[in-house]
Amino acid sequence: MVLEATMICIDNSEWMRNGDYSPNRFQAQADAVNLICGAKTQSNPENTVGVLTMAGKGVRVLVTPTSDLGKILACMHGLEIGGEMNLAAGIQVAQLALKHRQNKKQQQRIIVFAGGPVKYDKKVLEMIGRKLKKNNVSLDVVNFGEEDEGKAEKLEALVAAVNNNDSSHVVHVPPGPSALSDVLISTPIFTGDGEGGSSFAAAAAAAAGGVSGFEFGVDPNLDPELALALRVSMEEERARQEAAAKKAAEEATKQESGEQPSASQDATTISENVNTGTTEPEIKTKDLMDDDNALLLEALAMSMDESSSAVATRDTEMSEAAADDHDLQLALQLSVQEGTKDQSNQTEMNKLLGDQSFVSSILASLPGVDPNDPSVKDLLASMQSQSESQQNKDEDKAPKEEEKK
Amino acid sequence: MACLHDHSCEEHDCSSDWSLYKHIDLSKVSALNEAVSGSVKSVFRAWEQRLNSSEGHLESNEGDPELIVFIPFTSDVKIKSISIVGGAGGTSPAKMRAFINRDGIDFSDAQSMQPVQEWDLVENLQGVLEYQTRYSRFQSVGNITLHFPENFGGETTQIHYIGLKGEATQLKRDVVATIVYELRPNPSDHKTRSETGGGLSQVE
Repeated sequence: MVLEATMICIDNSEWMRNGDYSPNRFQAQADAVNLICGAKTQSNPENTVGVLTMAGKGVRVLVTPTSDLGKILACMHGLEIGGEMNLAAGIQVAQLALKHRQNKKQQQRIIVFAGGPVKYDKKVLEMIGRKLKKNNVSLDVVNFGEEDEGKAEKLEALVAAVNNNDSSHVVHVPPGPSALSDVLISTPIFTGDGEGGSSFAAAAAAAAGGVSGFEFGVDPNLDPELALALRVSMEEERARQEAAAKKAAEEATKQESGEQPSASQDATTISENVNTGTTEPEIKTKDLMDDDNALLLEALAMSMDESSSAVATRDTEMSEAAADDHDLQLALQLSVQEGTKDQSNQTEMNKLLGDQSFVSSILASLPGVDPNDPSVKDLLASMQSQSESQQNKDEDKAPKEEEKK
Repeated sequence: MACLHDHSCEEHDCSSDWSLYKHIDLSKVSALNEAVSGSVKSVFRAWEQRLNSSEGHLESNEGDPELIVFIPFTSDVKIKSISIVGGAGGTSPAKMRAFINRDGIDFSDAQSMQPVQEWDLVENLQGVLEYQTRYSRFQSVGNITLHFPENFGGETTQIHYIGLKGEATQLKRDVVATIVYELRPNPSDHKTRSETGGGLSQVE
């Protein structure tokens, strides 16, 4: 959450027409700039970001440091490609723009996208770097595009001259299949900001590729209670599985007393398995999981008749239950309850979850979840691939669930 | 404008005169062109400790003798004189320029602006020299910026101690220290006097 004023120097030289980054270098750069602006403004509401172009007719400041993200994104439209990149002038104008920032308490940072060749020699760049260091300005350089002889070396020397206490970085991005912005997310340019930048980056990554960097697919920053409850219940589940393995012989006799805790336990497992990747259905499932004692007793009674029908009842009851926020309460309940886990019931649960039609029927019954949502579809696809072998067994159970519903 | 400390210190306690360091807001002290970030905080000590730089000293970057030190105070002070202990071997600063109550001065500002007062320094390794100020100009100082443009020929400039002599008034400058952002107003945070009991309630 460092308070920072940032100037981003964009390269709009002729070299940016090249298509070795998809769709072309300029577009990849624009996406990266949008991402950086979002990360900076999100990590601290008082952060400001400005943009200038280095090529074209000359160095031109498009927008002075502002915290208005819309203004920054708007100025990226209608930029023309042409000319040659003037690195030294660009950095000096950026330094001047930062010097006249409104809030003098902000740290100064310059981010340079160096796509074209660098015509200045090392000495000049080092001098510029020392001047930046003297005035306490940090510099991040993204080296992409042209692979000139000595370009990487010059940029390394520049950043080494500026670097004070590891606040400045240079990142070399070679052309490849992944987008420029995706590569940058994992670099210190984003994560060097501390937690603020990285949480935004992780959220962006989750939105973009469906890959979650966090345990259980929930961002602790967005929903700490949920993340905590999930973590606690996962640990509880592991402990329970170990205990069950030891007491496997006593399953039958303890099934009655074990149903109640295992009911909620299995409900936890449902929510955990469903939770990988998507956020909206997770939260709904978790909330719906918070059965009252009455519902648990009902589930207990049902499960005494038939294990699979108990599952269905629990699920329908879950979907009908009000979405109370008792995450922590549930976690405490789980930790207090004793009892062995019903091994066979557990395995059944896993098979049931592996059945895509069963899961999609659950999700359809959850309020607010659209089975046609692409993220839900991705989730279902991943779950299907995980439990292909169990599908045959699940098919006879699935019609039963459909009937009960 | 240098004068020698012309009495022995056993007669009276010099350290009480040089006690303005207690009124410095150390967390907000900053320096430009320092080699080790944060080392500037170590140069503000008690008078007796002025030669004891075991905690570190302020040094500029290699090959660049300029230094700017920004000193904010917790309340307005009046500064009578300043004492600087430099380093040996030509690393002592040779000139000092002071700016009062200006925020965020960097090197280009410092070089172009007219200082409130300027001194030529001599090497003062024992800390016995003090440089008097034009007292009338240093009456209500909320923060002071010291710019050391040159030294006596060394590769870097070293400062081991900065002492300030003067008086502290109890006046504070109004600064909004913490800002709390409210996304949605929470009525319990904004109890009116009528709700908490007592006081006249507003007629609307």
